[in-house]
Amino acid sequence: MSGLLKFSGRDRAAGPVIGLLLLLLVLSPVLGLHAIPGLGLSIYGVNLVGQVMCFALLAMALDLMWGSAGVLSLGHGLFFAFGGYLSAMHLLKTAYAQTHVLPDFLQFMGQSAFPAFWWPFGSASLSVLAIILLPGLLAFIFGYVSFRSRVNGVYFSIITQALTYTAMLLMFRNETGFGGNNGMTGFNTIAGLPIGGMKAAVLLTMLSTAAVLVVLVGGRAMLATRFGRMLTAIRDDEARLRFLGYDTLWLKLAAWCLSAIIAAVAGALYVPQVGIINPTLLDPSLSIEVAVWVAVGGRGGLCGAVLGAVLVNTLKFWMSAAAPTVWPFVLALLVLLVVLVLPNGLMDLSNRSRAWIAELTKGDVPGAKTVRRLS
Amino acid sequence: MSQVEKNALSVKGLIVQFGSFTAINNLTFNASYGHVHAVIGPNGAGKTTLLDIFTGRSRARSGSVLLDGKLELTHLSEVKLALSGIGRKFQKPSVFEALTVTENLDLAFRRADRSLLKEVFARSDQARRDAVDGILQIIGLGAQRHAPAGILSHGQKQWLEIGMVLVRQPKVVLLDEPVAGMSDEETEQTAKLVRSLRSPERAIIVVEHDMDFVEQIADLVTVLDQGATLFEGDMKAARTDPRVLDVYIGR
Repeated sequence: MSGLLKFSGRDRAAGPVIGLLLLLLVLSPVLGLHAIPGLGLSIYGVNLVGQVMCFALLAMALDLMWGSAGVLSLGHGLFFAFGGYLSAMHLLKTAYAQTHVLPDFLQFMGQSAFPAFWWPFGSASLSVLAIILLPGLLAFIFGYVSFRSRVNGVYFSIITQALTYTAMLLMFRNETGFGGNNGMTGFNTIAGLPIGGMKAAVLLTMLSTAAVLVVLVGGRAMLATRFGRMLTAIRDDEARLRFLGYDTLWLKLAAWCLSAIIAAVAGALYVPQVGIINPTLLDPSLSIEVAVWVAVGGRGGLCGAVLGAVLVNTLKFWMSAAAPTVWPFVLALLVLLVVLVLPNGLMDLSNRSRAWIAELTKGDVPGAKTVRRLS
Repeated sequence: MSQVEKNALSVKGLIVQFGSFTAINNLTFNASYGHVHAVIGPNGAGKTTLLDIFTGRSRARSGSVLLDGKLELTHLSEVKLALSGIGRKFQKPSVFEALTVTENLDLAFRRADRSLLKEVFARSDQARRDAVDGILQIIGLGAQRHAPAGILSHGQKQWLEIGMVLVRQPKVVLLDEPVAGMSDEETEQTAKLVRSLRSPERAIIVVEHDMDFVEQIADLVTVLDQGATLFEGDMKAARTDPRVLDVYIGR
């Protein structure tokens, strides 16, 4: 039993995962630009890696709230899409500067120029600022209102989902001015590189992988500080923490805004890789799926989120090509398996395997007396 | 109670209602420094509600609760009340199970003169470590200091939570059924612990059902019934008081 608990604070998979990500960061230009003759990846392949990295970022954003503070958002697609739309606005402005052709959806609305509020998106640095600040601001307002009214648990989850759904309905409307159900597409270049080309794919994949590394390492370091312990305390017993003199509203709000910003950055990196954004990213099913990735990988500590996002999405890419009708059943089976056998996802496998073996050799039932990190 | 004793908490004309139910009815109550004050009474007498008022969990309809005779507590938030020197141990042991014993105490060491932001970035300085070590001694969990609180026994969790309340040096310590669910031996140890906490800088209020425990620890006993004081005095007198006997046995 003490053997199991010894690992409760750290994840044994963290080192290998960070190592693999570093390897990926080095390998993506090497394989993408065919530095070694005869050994390389297609643009599609490099792109896929980049997209999966964006999902890993999104999963970590969710885990920061769910795994650490016990607050489950079923609406992180909102921030992901928000970042994506802002990124698309920058790409459209860039394309316009080169082609002087206004995007279709604006022409259909009878516009002869970009609306005035698009002006900051002509600048790359202002766009980056907007991608961080605007979703952060939205998260702050929504989080402040919810946490102040002490909306917790499943009620909070439902509200986040409703918010995403509302945003989806809003963005589906052409009058909203962001392309309606067709969304925004027709991107030309990013950082001077043609979108759809190998160089852009390598750049975006490297950026996404680097972002995953920064959030994973930085986030884990943050969770090891007193702030991280405060979040754990909120998860275990928020009222107790409040009665110790901590205004938990601000602690949750800080983590929530950080989480939203990470999700927005993920979306902003994702959109140029897929070349389009439309309101389907705001569909609640994506937001729920993110929770599945994290649950499969293992909550808390961010490492499980990366593993879960990578494994489930790789499986999804492969299966939806090989056997698209079977995929939903496989996903459902995966969820059941995790709930029944590995309550804390795949991280259980790595964190507890040694202790399980130790217990097995003593003849105990594995997992019977384990104290779970997460309820 | 003599007039020279300093009141930590003075409750006057307190009324608490939940819908049409009156939980506390025009209560007057004082808790003074240096004393262990036990509050007993049948179920529904308003004992826990009284602690809820002191900690901001419930709101008073009218009346006043003063700390040190000057600070009005009835309108303060839970956080402000905690920071102004009120510490509470809950009925159900409430510790942070995923954190170690030391980490629990370290978080509980919340200095009132620091903003939350400063507390987030506070370093583990010597004063902090000494305070935590001191409490570990008092509650006798030194050997478990690096164990996650989740694996502690029920009694140890209760002691840890008492330690978490004490580490901030609160003026008023509220203990809600500290020996509920404890073995006789643990109860005995808890009694010793509570007696040792008596200090001129501290008022201790204990809500408890275990009468033998109360007799061991209490300097003064208040018997509540239907939200009002039925009896006040020492435990021996309480046990022979006909009104007290009536509410406990008469129904």
